[in-house]
Amino acid sequence: MNPPFSFADAGLPASPAVLLVDDDEVNLLLTALALRERGFVITEASSGERALELLADRVPDIIVLDAMMPTLDGFATCRAIRAMSGFENVPVLMLTGLDDDASITRAYQAGATDFFVKATQWSLLAGRLHYLLRASRTRIELERSTTKLARAQDLARMGSFDWRRGEAGLVVSPEGLRVFGYGVQDGVSLRRLLRMVPRDERRALMRLLHDVLRQSSVLAIDVPITLYDGNRRIIHVEAEPEYNEHGHTIGYTGIVQDVTDRRAAEDRIRHLANFDALTGLPNRHQLIWRAERALEYARRGQHQFALLLIDLDRFKIINDTLGHAAGDELLMEVARRLRACVRHSDQALEGSIETAGARSHRTLEAVGRLGGDEFVALLPEVAEDRDAERVANRILEVMREPIFVSGQECFVTASVGVAIYPRDGATVADLMRNSDVAMYSVKDQGKNAAAIYGPQLAGRGREKLELETALHKAIERDELVLHYQPKIDVRKSAMVGVEALMRWNRGGRLVPPGEFIPLAEETGLIVPLSEWALREAARQAKAWQTSSGFADSIAVNLPSHLFSRSDLIEHIHQCVTGFGVPHRVIQLEITEDNLMKDLQDVIPSLHRLNEIGVEISIDDFGTGYSSLAYLTTLPISELKIDRSFVRDLGITPQSSAVVTAIIALARSLGLRVVAEGVETLRQMEVLHRLGCFIMQGFLFSPAKPADDLDRWLEQMVLPRKAPWIGQVSETDFATDAVRTAAGRIHR
Amino acid sequence: MNPTPNSNDDSSAQLDAQALARLHALDPDGRHGVVGRVLATFETSLLRQMAQLDEARERGEADELGRIAHTLKSSSASIGALALSAVCAEVERAVRAGETTELVKDVDRLLAEGRRALGAVRAILRP
Repeated sequence: MNPPFSFADAGLPASPAVLLVDDDEVNLLLTALALRERGFVITEASSGERALELLADRVPDIIVLDAMMPTLDGFATCRAIRAMSGFENVPVLMLTGLDDDASITRAYQAGATDFFVKATQWSLLAGRLHYLLRASRTRIELERSTTKLARAQDLARMGSFDWRRGEAGLVVSPEGLRVFGYGVQDGVSLRRLLRMVPRDERRALMRLLHDVLRQSSVLAIDVPITLYDGNRRIIHVEAEPEYNEHGHTIGYTGIVQDVTDRRAAEDRIRHLANFDALTGLPNRHQLIWRAERALEYARRGQHQFALLLIDLDRFKIINDTLGHAAGDELLMEVARRLRACVRHSDQALEGSIETAGARSHRTLEAVGRLGGDEFVALLPEVAEDRDAERVANRILEVMREPIFVSGQECFVTASVGVAIYPRDGATVADLMRNSDVAMYSVKDQGKNAAAIYGPQLAGRGREKLELETALHKAIERDELVLHYQPKIDVRKSAMVGVEALMRWNRGGRLVPPGEFIPLAEETGLIVPLSEWALREAARQAKAWQTSSGFADSIAVNLPSHLFSRSDLIEHIHQCVTGFGVPHRVIQLEITEDNLMKDLQDVIPSLHRLNEIGVEISIDDFGTGYSSLAYLTTLPISELKIDRSFVRDLGITPQSSAVVTAIIALARSLGLRVVAEGVETLRQMEVLHRLGCFIMQGFLFSPAKPADDLDRWLEQMVLPRKAPWIGQVSETDFATDAVRTAAGRIHR
Repeated sequence: MNPTPNSNDDSSAQLDAQALARLHALDPDGRHGVVGRVLATFETSLLRQMAQLDEARERGEADELGRIAHTLKSSSASIGALALSAVCAEVERAVRAGETTELVKDVDRLLAEGRRALGAVRAILRP
């Protein structure tokens, strides 16, 4: 036997099974012999009927049929075979006579795969059989991959199409038709598909298609369509031109794909990346993008644009007292109101100035949320400052209405800082920073207002600015603490009150007041800082009242201009009532300097404070040039002798003279007197002798956290272990002491 | 009718050598007895077809005559009975062309050639 043909491809049977059908026994025998010799496995059938019987049992790889047979001839047999299920694609070779053209035609009509002229050249027949088997295999594979492709396209909601100029027109694959919601039976034309595109888009699409066609360019677009059921979909169309042998475009071939879901996902991602999840406003990223565009337009168009930074006042308090959910609710309402203050566009039109028209930068106008309680309004074109001010005022105005959150009426105000390009900055970063500076200047001056940036605001150094910024955040971040220094009545060896001193825990380092209070005073931050201190002091008073029956007062230092603020009394009232402690637990200290500077403004406040039980203490007394006449009229309760006199006690005679004089004055006015900065037993003795019994200083204790102070009282004072206890007589001989001291001065 | 070989007429009953060589090529060393099997098959088939031809001629079935001639044409060519094959071709053509006037005479010729081929085959099978 000869080896199988070398072109017997992989995947083809090594020994193809052949059903050989011939009524002529001689030919049947000869053909069978010849094919067997060439590696085929032959089943012989001497008639068409016999062949059909055999096929019921087994499917051969190929069928060879003699055309001319009695009763059931080759053509009838072939038709019968094709009608049998599973035999639609089995290759059938019809054997015909050499001069029999009619049979050849009939063979194809009967469904034969090919014909072969009956001859005794067996190798030609074998070659033909191998060819048919290979073609059949290729066809099966093609059908399989076509089926796979169709399935894949169906899954991807994708299909293909061909378009030819002229009569042929558009042919869309069944999968492609399904993309458009059509079945194979629907006659679909390009015109019909185009009608699914909404009218507005259709015109632009037509124009684009004409352009693409004229230039024979590649087409790749997303087209919105409305299906027959009203469903809106987005179809991606991609096609490339096909050319004839002369290089002329004859049509296009391409794919269509339903990308609605993908586009929705993309849109969602784009939205998340560009919009704030809580308020739905553009986020920082989007705002900066818009600001960059606006700056570019302004630069080219030689106009101004404005950036308004909006920061809510006291938002943290609302958040802390009503909870974050309420805070979020409030922010959403604020966002809604702010949106109404500008011509807000959710979608900024992209594109260059040339294509999008001269006014397209208007679509950049928006309100966005930078984060927290900070918002930005972007005005892409302003003619003058007043335009920006108008919007700023509108913003302040819309905030005036109370906001209901968690069933409560909240009043929120905002501070607005404005920076205008190009005057207030050449870059978006500069404009953001300067609007920030302007906004903080509003906060400093009492909030609830708007200010336009000016160079005078920027006079402060960068470091100072950073410190200031950090200090701004200090309250929000709970970085401030109060330490307490006891006031000791040395006669009773007992604490009779404390002075609260502010400390700033900045990144783990305890910043002493000297480093930030001056800045806080300069920038006006001292106001929120003091307000916080009052609240904290009230809280601590309550804590001590509960733990140890504390009934003294906590002295809080306030700058004079705070006394001139109308809301100070209200604030103190809220603090103490909020914690359920009497007003007298708060004592206010004001330096002599400060007091004298703003005396006229402060006096009414002092009276009212006094009326509600808040005592006033004059700090650093003796250093200023107090108008003693005024002292007699002021509603004050305490004088604190400046530490410089105490330091020099027993060293320079002048200091004890001053101390003596102060004590005398205080006594004559019925004021309590306190000595500050007492560091040695000697100073204590002298002060005691001079008639000053209440003292403060390192001798007793530095300012300590509340807990440490408790421990100190418990471990040193109550068990009478402190070194200063028992060093002075408890007898009141102040009068003698004053007399003695006075005597010395006079000597 | 039972056709019998005409022993006087076997001078022209030579089978074509080329055709026989092709048969031999199918079984070069004669192991499978291919030539014998083919010739034996031809003998059986020819006898049957000649009977069928006779019958068809009696009944005047021209189509049947044509079909048998067609079949016999190729099988006789296969074993090298070329004269028989040529007459078969003539009969088949005449039937297809509807030229039935000469048909009876042609079939007689065909049967005569058949008998001669039969003789030639038998001479090989049973020398």
